Amino acid sequence: MIKSKRNQPDTLSEMLALDDIIARIKSLRVPGDALTWHRFSGSLLLVLLVLLFLSGAFMSFYYSPAPGIAYDSVDYALYSLPFGDVIKGVHYYSWNVLLVVMGLHLARAFVVGAYKSPRQLVWVSGVMIMLLIPASIITGDLLPWDQDGFWTTQVRISIIASVPFVGDLIVRLVQGGSLTGIVALTRFYVLHILFLPLFLVFLVVIHFHFLRQRGLSASWDKEHSNRQTISFFPQFVNRWLLLFLTVTAVLGLISWYWPAPLGDPADPTDSTFVPRPEWWVLFLNQLVTVFKGSLTLIGSIIIPGGLVALLIALPFLDTSSDRRPASRKKVMLFAGIIAIIWVGLSIMGYVQHFNGTHS
Amino acid sequence: MRIRTIMSFIVGVASISSMLLLNADEAAKAHTFVVSASYVRAAPAGLDDPLWKTAQAFQLLVEGREPVVGANGTVTTRALYTDKHLYFLLKWKDPTHSITKQSWRFDGQNWHHLEGNEDRIALLFEITRINKFATRGCAITCHSPADVSRKDWKFATKSDDEKGDLWHWKAARSAPYGYADDAWLTVAGNPTGSYRETGRRKDVGAGGDIKNQTQDKSRPLYMQDPAIEPSVPGFLLMEEAVKITDYSVFKTGDTIPYRLPVKPSGSRFDVKATSRYADGGWMVMFSRKLDTGHEDDVVFNLKKRYSFALAVFDNSGSEHSKATEPMTLIFSP
Repeated sequence: MIKSKRNQPDTLSEMLALDDIIARIKSLRVPGDALTWHRFSGSLLLVLLVLLFLSGAFMSFYYSPAPGIAYDSVDYALYSLPFGDVIKGVHYYSWNVLLVVMGLHLARAFVVGAYKSPRQLVWVSGVMIMLLIPASIITGDLLPWDQDGFWTTQVRISIIASVPFVGDLIVRLVQGGSLTGIVALTRFYVLHILFLPLFLVFLVVIHFHFLRQRGLSASWDKEHSNRQTISFFPQFVNRWLLLFLTVTAVLGLISWYWPAPLGDPADPTDSTFVPRPEWWVLFLNQLVTVFKGSLTLIGSIIIPGGLVALLIALPFLDTSSDRRPASRKKVMLFAGIIAIIWVGLSIMGYVQHFNGTHS
Repeated sequence: MRIRTIMSFIVGVASISSMLLLNADEAAKAHTFVVSASYVRAAPAGLDDPLWKTAQAFQLLVEGREPVVGANGTVTTRALYTDKHLYFLLKWKDPTHSITKQSWRFDGQNWHHLEGNEDRIALLFEITRINKFATRGCAITCHSPADVSRKDWKFATKSDDEKGDLWHWKAARSAPYGYADDAWLTVAGNPTGSYRETGRRKDVGAGGDIKNQTQDKSRPLYMQDPAIEPSVPGFLLMEEAVKITDYSVFKTGDTIPYRLPVKPSGSRFDVKATSRYADGGWMVMFSRKLDTGHEDDVVFNLKKRYSFALAVFDNSGSEHSKATEPMTLIFSP
């Protein structure tokens, strides 16, 4: 709204016709426990996503998506550019921490029954985000064009190709041909820096939309109590910025002392190279090891797919209104068993792949 | 019906998503052997400095290539680094102490070359990435191109963009001056009029050796300058040599070195070396600045990993060698 008597804007926000929006943001209130010492995983996830976007954007200035040259460009950015190792490290550690925090965020939401009505779609959109992150990691793995990234991608592609009826089609779409070469690298790059981030932002917006509409979950015994609120701006934003700066500094320091790894350049003719699975897929990797031969599909598709489907469908399967864990014994027991199997298989995978069997 | 359709869609999306997460492997992985350099504040003083005990000893397997297939061995390798320098201590068995490299011998009437040749060791690093060197090592640079017969192999890279850094210690030609001949590797050519095409190029500066022979190659051209005490007994350094004017002074059984080391300088003299032959084997210590400031040298960044390969030559004047698989050098904190 223009306040000047001469109908001339007095401030920049008026000039930009943003004064109404700014006034609305200032009037926004959020729960006081939206970001506190004991509740910060959601905000931390947003911090990590922003760091991933920023560091990724910087790295893209120096990246060339062509086999061989891709490796050289990453090597140059990592070791020849001032603070290149820090930026790459922040990107690398951010997605690793993101996976951990995302798991904790999901676990908390599960334990407090945050998926229950009226927040079913908050849960579903969160799970969708969780599925998109690995897709981003997978497409990013190939980009440095090093041995690990290249051969890990080969393994993934071979698994996709084994899927009846649609496997070959998916591989051709992703790879752009029968070999992982410049077309595949370009497609992975475009997916990684354009389509997946766009989709991720879209899902995050959806997630926030449902959060705003359905409210932030509280502990099961505090749902109906009167919660204190704080202003979104500046109180909440300041807290978030403090978290952002702290995380940036910590990850920057870690990256400085322990730079992100870059393996040997990819050699597509070196079929003796067998990549080690990343820590976050040890469970799935071990499933494939357990279900061999004609049972492969069980370990590679049916069980993981079923689990993801269960996760998405959870709010529609557990429809009771009681959020207390004690009242959800069956669900808690089932989740506990899955968690134990998950951890057990991951430990088995670690022992098999990392415990002294390799030079 | 609608719920079933939605569930089918969810299962489909979930299946494809979970498939993408998979990263299966069962077999043991052929990762390259990693040699780790340990940090020390002060430089090791020599071959016997106790500092070397702080460095891990790596047993590097060297395998014989034609015509010495099966002649395998190991090179015990330790690596240290300071804020400015990188050091290697290399130790390997070699039954023949070969340092004469075809010296001349006078039989009373004519001059003949003795049969002994020279022991050597060479390290090859990448200055810029050499395609497949990290996974194939010497097979890419020494056995190149792989699809032609052995006699046509050239020690070279395939393109101008690929450059290697060669540290070549030679018992008869570089050891007397305490260095490893520093050269670099590029595409094959013959810019110096050598007897064959090669990708090996000398670093900027002086060094190497000259052949001590007359124009008709029938006898030596130089001898030790009588006015100068040999600074390295048993060797004839070019700077201490004079042309032979009277061959009648030699008597039966006299020997004169055939290869005369030239005083090294410049970038060619970047890799210093100390060596000793004892107990049927060689012990050689290399030292080089992490960054020499020369374009023809690899720059060592402590955060980076470096592919390299190593070859030992026993009494050899040709490419007959025992070489390692490609390895990786890292700098441990």
